[in-house]
Amino acid sequence: MEPTKFIENLKKQYIDTEDFKLNMSSEFRQIGSYDSLTGMTIIVMIKDEYNVDITDSEYKAQKTIKDLYELIHSQLAP
Amino acid sequence: MKAYVNGISYYLPSTILDNDQLSREFPEWSVDKIAQKTGIYKRHISEKNEFSSDMGLKVIEKLLAEFNINKAEINYLLFCTQSPDYFLPTTACVLQEKAGLNKTCGAIDFNLGCSGFIYGLGLAKGLVETGQAKNVLLVTAETYSKFIHKKDKSNRTIFGDGAAATLITSEPNKEHFSASIGNFAYGTDGSGYDKLIIKNSGINHQCHKSADCLDEVGNFVSNDDFLFMDGKEIFNFTAFEVPPLINRVLKSNELTLEKVSVYIFHQANEYMLDFVRKRCQIPKENFYINLSDTGNTVSSTIPIALRRYIDEKKTRIGERILLAGFGVGLSLGGVILEVE
Repeated sequence: MEPTKFIENLKKQYIDTEDFKLNMSSEFRQIGSYDSLTGMTIIVMIKDEYNVDITDSEYKAQKTIKDLYELIHSQLAP
Repeated sequence: MKAYVNGISYYLPSTILDNDQLSREFPEWSVDKIAQKTGIYKRHISEKNEFSSDMGLKVIEKLLAEFNINKAEINYLLFCTQSPDYFLPTTACVLQEKAGLNKTCGAIDFNLGCSGFIYGLGLAKGLVETGQAKNVLLVTAETYSKFIHKKDKSNRTIFGDGAAATLITSEPNKEHFSASIGNFAYGTDGSGYDKLIIKNSGINHQCHKSADCLDEVGNFVSNDDFLFMDGKEIFNFTAFEVPPLINRVLKSNELTLEKVSVYIFHQANEYMLDFVRKRCQIPKENFYINLSDTGNTVSSTIPIALRRYIDEKKTRIGERILLAGFGVGLSLGGVILEVE
């Protein structure tokens, strides 16, 4: 699981991607057009790209992109 | 024998609820954000004493006039609504009288939402191709605004009222847009019945008047007397079930993705539509979105968008259009139309 690619996949879920830059310490809910719909597409993207199902409560507990990345990484199939 | 879509008209109530009005009522709700994300700028709201049969009548009259149809030749009325005038009788019977349709005409209601137009086309095709009816009138009419709690800003933002009438016949029409109805694919997942629901709306829930449920900061969440939508679950249903549905529709018509010139899906909201489009791998230029001035009119979004597509673009003979509806039920369906 490549961090740069993960950030790129995440960024695709925002509609205002030209307006900001993301890095691992970004708090993804505080950025640009983020709202609950963005959250839904991020969860589906994680399922599509990494085949990882994360629950609502797991998702809600993550603050930064790094938090989310590490959660998915820990659940990746060996 | 084949069945053809031979005319579509739609009706939108005159009262408009725009994003500025919503922002005034909900100051924390940004107008720009609403429009940017949903693609919806305004929606039409039925009058207090305007019901689905009234909207049905207006749209039938419009269709008859626009396409110069003799109402005596209508053999069957299919009425799709989740806001019927009464539990009983069937609103289609009320409408037969109001519209002055022939007494030899069949008339039934069916209760479906966002997939309703597709199922209606399927029923109409069956009636025509088995020789039970030559001219079927499919009417979709919905007044969800009457079901939505005044404080429910999410649903008030998304849904609008509206109606559409479509004529399905045994012969193509040479003067107007006409398209043969191809093969269908359907789907149902009743385990999600409570993801879009009005709990206190039927015999199953004859309970006391419900109180508002609020979140921890006092924002309205739900009230069982009103429309409830679990947005996340509806989103997931759409994201995961629509792509395989599209593949099944294509397969049942022996087509591949690129053989379809335009995809017209149930117009739920722009962000979700774009997300689903990408998952279906449909190019943006082949995907039609038109809901900015109507919002989600439930079973009427597809016929409204189809009519607008026909008006905007010059359709050519042989052009294939894929229609797909999905939502409350949970229910979904899709079909191919081929322009004659």
